[in-house]
Amino acid sequence: MLKRIQSLGQWAFLRVEGLFNLAFGDRLNPLYYLGPLSYFMFWIVVASGLYLYVFFETGVNEAYDSVENLTHAQWYFGGIMRSLHRYASDAMVLTMLLHLTRHFAFDRYRSFHWFSWVSGVVLLWLVYAAGINGYMLPWDRLAQFVVVATAEWFDVLPLFKGALIRNFIYSEGVSDRLFSLLSFIHIGLPLATLALLWVHTHRVPSAKTTPAWQITATVTVALIVLSLTKPAVSQEHADLSAAVTTIGYDWFYLPVYALLYRWTPGEVWLLVGGATALLFLLPWLPPKLMRKGKLFHVLVHPDNRIVAAREGETVLDAVLRDGIALPFECRNGGCGVCKGTVTYGAVDHGAHQPSALTEQEKREGKALFCCATPLSDIEIEYVPVSTPGGIPVRVYVARVHKMARLADDVMQVFLKVEGDEKLHYYPGQHINIILEDGANRSFSFATAPQDSELIELQIRWIKDGRFTTRLFTEMKEGDSVRFEGPLGSFFLREDSAKPIIFVAGSTGFAPVKSMVEYAFRTGMKRQMVLYWGTRSRRDMYLAELAEQWAREHPNFRFVPVLSDPLPEDNWTGRTGLVHEAILQDFPDLSGYQIYACGSAAMVAAAHPAFIAHGLSQDDCFSDAFNLAPQIARATPQAEMVRLGGGPA
Amino acid sequence: MTQTLRFIAQALLYVPFMVLIGYFSTEPAYRHLDPGEALVRLSLSHAGSRVSECRQRTPEELAKMPPNMRAPLDCPRERLPVTVELEMDGVLVYRIVSAPSGLRRDLASTVYWRRVVSAGAHRFTVRLKDKREGDFNYVKEIAVTLDPGRVLVIDFNPGQGGFIFRL
Repeated sequence: MLKRIQSLGQWAFLRVEGLFNLAFGDRLNPLYYLGPLSYFMFWIVVASGLYLYVFFETGVNEAYDSVENLTHAQWYFGGIMRSLHRYASDAMVLTMLLHLTRHFAFDRYRSFHWFSWVSGVVLLWLVYAAGINGYMLPWDRLAQFVVVATAEWFDVLPLFKGALIRNFIYSEGVSDRLFSLLSFIHIGLPLATLALLWVHTHRVPSAKTTPAWQITATVTVALIVLSLTKPAVSQEHADLSAAVTTIGYDWFYLPVYALLYRWTPGEVWLLVGGATALLFLLPWLPPKLMRKGKLFHVLVHPDNRIVAAREGETVLDAVLRDGIALPFECRNGGCGVCKGTVTYGAVDHGAHQPSALTEQEKREGKALFCCATPLSDIEIEYVPVSTPGGIPVRVYVARVHKMARLADDVMQVFLKVEGDEKLHYYPGQHINIILEDGANRSFSFATAPQDSELIELQIRWIKDGRFTTRLFTEMKEGDSVRFEGPLGSFFLREDSAKPIIFVAGSTGFAPVKSMVEYAFRTGMKRQMVLYWGTRSRRDMYLAELAEQWAREHPNFRFVPVLSDPLPEDNWTGRTGLVHEAILQDFPDLSGYQIYACGSAAMVAAAHPAFIAHGLSQDDCFSDAFNLAPQIARATPQAEMVRLGGGPA
Repeated sequence: MTQTLRFIAQALLYVPFMVLIGYFSTEPAYRHLDPGEALVRLSLSHAGSRVSECRQRTPEELAKMPPNMRAPLDCPRERLPVTVELEMDGVLVYRIVSAPSGLRRDLASTVYWRRVVSAGAHRFTVRLKDKREGDFNYVKEIAVTLDPGRVLVIDFNPGQGGFIFRL
């Protein structure tokens, strides 16, 4: 039964959205922005409300007179602001209800969605309370009705038992203080609404809270036109000695109040309480046997990262939650911006506009990641358009400016982008070098972004590696190289004061070098310690540089760790696995941030050990930390999950 | 679809939005009372008598008490419920035994009742009993003509002789 209702709802939404797409296009369809539109309406209500508050006087007669004066004597602005205040409030209820209904129809309220759903229901009630409270302020006949009805409704509760209405028996019983109290509530409730709005959207990865400017502009114009053609006005002055007979009525906010005098107040409490309980419990209805939801792994290209996706979670939400800048726009299966390829595994494509994803495209492995949910571990590929911070991803042509051997199997390569363009990136990000057949190889920037005139890469030769073999045997200075970038969300976070532990394995030193040099350049005072692990001394190709940093910067420390030192190394320093050295030195990692880059095996071993020693998931950064063994087995490409020069 | 047609279509789709918001923000009008109707509201807040009589403390009892607590009377806090009846045109339309409020049942009993009645002449008899024994100790009868849309408030204030009818 529930499925049939939801199917019907999906059908209705997709048809109406399809119709709107014809007029608005699929990227500016207001129906794809119901949540952001609710936010926008809220801001209109707040802005217009602040203006009204300047002129509103908190007195029995002054309340009515001040609103009337503002409405008529200042119709050209105050009147419009009042109308905007009312109509935006009504529109907010409309967009919120549609937003809620859409999430119900598309089954996006169960499982891990429950928090957003429940907080959304509380928000809806808060908005209703604020709106109803607002109707009390002008002290006209509608205000009289709302005040008396509210008192009569609440008076059936054992707490009040007829005491509340005693304040509204005679006109003289209403004092100026009532309006001070109502104004206070009318400020407090929107503040609470705003706080909960933040909580409500905070858990949704990359939640949009502002519609496209074209939508905000047209909606604002529509509301202004409405305000001019049908200005919001007061009704007659409230008079408690006369009964309210026929009044203009806001059916967005007050339908329950109309029921109060058809049913008993107790029955209306049952209805509201029952509806609230039902909405609260809906994510768990019908009850299912307790079962932990499955967790799927998504290997994302070109970032070469593996992220976890909860059962029923869209691929888009999963990758956004992990900070990957997968492009998206409408998030409702309409615009196709989030379209990409599923190269391994199976997905449920979900409900979407047929025009955004055709059956032929599905057969070719395409999917809309905003609607598709994994049915197994999957591997996907998307075309990046930007990285965190809005840096656009582009294809560049560069010349090999300089090449130098750092070790027998490590080549330092400097690329110079053709033209006068300066490449912007975050320290720690990487590029994909594009091969002739379209395949690509990932390498991290090894210099701070300030030094991006020449892009430094540190590339390790991999036996039988197509690109690296060519690099070590054929490539020469002056050769042309195509690459796309910047890519990846592995970069230095500057919004924390925690000391940093860098973990580099082999050429994983490259992005660490970029981050450390950036930190020195910007005067970062956070304590930093670098653990660089290699097999032998000769693999630690820039150890002198790290030692120099340690000498010159009191907030930096360098700990070299060799796993298999040679006799000629005469090594007296730390030995063993690099992450074990860290665990020996830092038994409690709860106060640290760790940036790790190295082989997939290294980070796969280090990650659970770090977490077990108190490191927060939020402070653990690596492009290989989420490696899933089953994907590594099923997809050999997963072995490419390493930056700074992995098998290539 | 050409750009012009798109703009026209967008405008056409915004019209229902504006009509929806504009219309249901005030229409259809809500009729709370029909034209030939008036409203009767009975509202009172009155504390019933104490559940038992106050007792005079003996000099010995007073002497044992702290000087600032030496009240001559020992009165129970709990109040009796208040019984109220309202007759309209000879018919009993409302009767309630209202318990005192408060966790210790020591506060006033409150009563609220409303009814929409047809406008015109009506006779009301209202009674209140706040004692344990005996009949209603406050009774008042009144004949009034209620104009359409008017409110008759029936209140109670023992300091003003009991029931108050106010149109």
